Amino acid sequence: MRGLLQLFAAYGGFLLFFVLEAISFTLIVQLNQRQGEIASNSYGMATAYFDQASDWVTDYWGLKNEVVRLQGKNIKLMEELDNARYSNAVNRDTVGQDSATQAYTFIGAHVISNSIISNNNFLRLNRGGRHGVHPNMGVINEEGIVGIVVDTTRHFSQVMSILHSQARINASIKGTGYFGTLTWDGRDPKKMQLNAIPRHAKFVTGDIIVTNSYSHLFPAGIEIGVIESFEEIQGNNFFKIQVELFNDMAAVRNVYVVNNLMREELDKLD
Amino acid sequence: MTNAIPINIARFIGLFLLQVLFFKPLSWGWEGPFYINVIIYPLFIILLPLRTPMPAALISSFAMGILVDAAYNSWGVHAAASVLTVYLRPLPLKWLQPRDGYNVNHSPTKKRMGWQWFLAYSGIVIAFHLFVYFSLDAFSPVYLKSILLKTLYSFPLSMFFIVILIAIFNPED
Repeated sequence: MRGLLQLFAAYGGFLLFFVLEAISFTLIVQLNQRQGEIASNSYGMATAYFDQASDWVTDYWGLKNEVVRLQGKNIKLMEELDNARYSNAVNRDTVGQDSATQAYTFIGAHVISNSIISNNNFLRLNRGGRHGVHPNMGVINEEGIVGIVVDTTRHFSQVMSILHSQARINASIKGTGYFGTLTWDGRDPKKMQLNAIPRHAKFVTGDIIVTNSYSHLFPAGIEIGVIESFEEIQGNNFFKIQVELFNDMAAVRNVYVVNNLMREELDKLD
Repeated sequence: MTNAIPINIARFIGLFLLQVLFFKPLSWGWEGPFYINVIIYPLFIILLPLRTPMPAALISSFAMGILVDAAYNSWGVHAAASVLTVYLRPLPLKWLQPRDGYNVNHSPTKKRMGWQWFLAYSGIVIAFHLFVYFSLDAFSPVYLKSILLKTLYSFPLSMFFIVILIAIFNPED
């Protein structure tokens, strides 16, 4: 009690000031129509602001679940596409859904580490053997291709980035049959080189480079990038083509591991 | 000094009556850009003795404000402004402190401190009070321009009447 009295002696002026101002403001807001309207309006604005802030926080925490949910939805759609199916049709009248066998399925994954600065870059994914990820599977995302799984553990997998000096990806110029090998020279993480396109091939800068069905890693027709420039090398029968990637390898977050269901069968022929 | 309380009570009543009976009808142009509102009751706050305990100063100023509010039908606006003004009154007093300090038994009057000092002191208090009053009246920073204009128009007239009152009564405490 003594302490309380001392407290009041020391801060009584401020407390009384505070109480009187509180009374005054209550009167202003309660008894004056105009000020009351402004106050309730401001109060509503503040409430809306806090609602928005709390909504943002909820959104943020819900985002991870949302990504997994959307990946699942995307996978369903991707598996419905023609390039994820193997067609058994041999005659015109056998063309149709019934004649198609599922050729590719996808496993959603999240990138947990990534690099683009060395000559040989790797990514790590949060999905592994337990989820059906195995070595020699392709990895793609919505913008293009990402890499090839080289090693897996139970819960994680190591992915050789397309930005790796050993990466060889079979790719075609869209709309033509010409195919070549996509490699990376270790310089610009936004650009790769397409080799082994023969001199007589016809194309222009701006043509789109896609995956083809010769590789067993990716479904055919995934757009990788556009032709930025090309040069003829003296004494060589092939063009050297610079390809600007659609994919920003520095910012890949959510990817899909490609599971080729016919892989075993195809490997028997090799 | 024993008669400080009756003097201030008399001043309280006198300034209140003067404010609501004489100066309130003088105000005009409430909605227009040119606007006059003569506010002289803060003279009570200005002239409170230096040794007035803060709780007494706060309560008496609140009472003055709420009574003026009752007359102006602006519940709480004058009261809030008065309480804030009297709470911050020590600040201008500190800024304007003479070299040898104040005599705590005195009141900050023109007779004690001289015209120059008193004009500076009352000018600061009145300008602050008017600004707070018009701010609370508008109740939103959106109207800052009109708040400043109203303060600007009302300040010289309020000061003019305060100077006249001081010149007539010239109170010592």
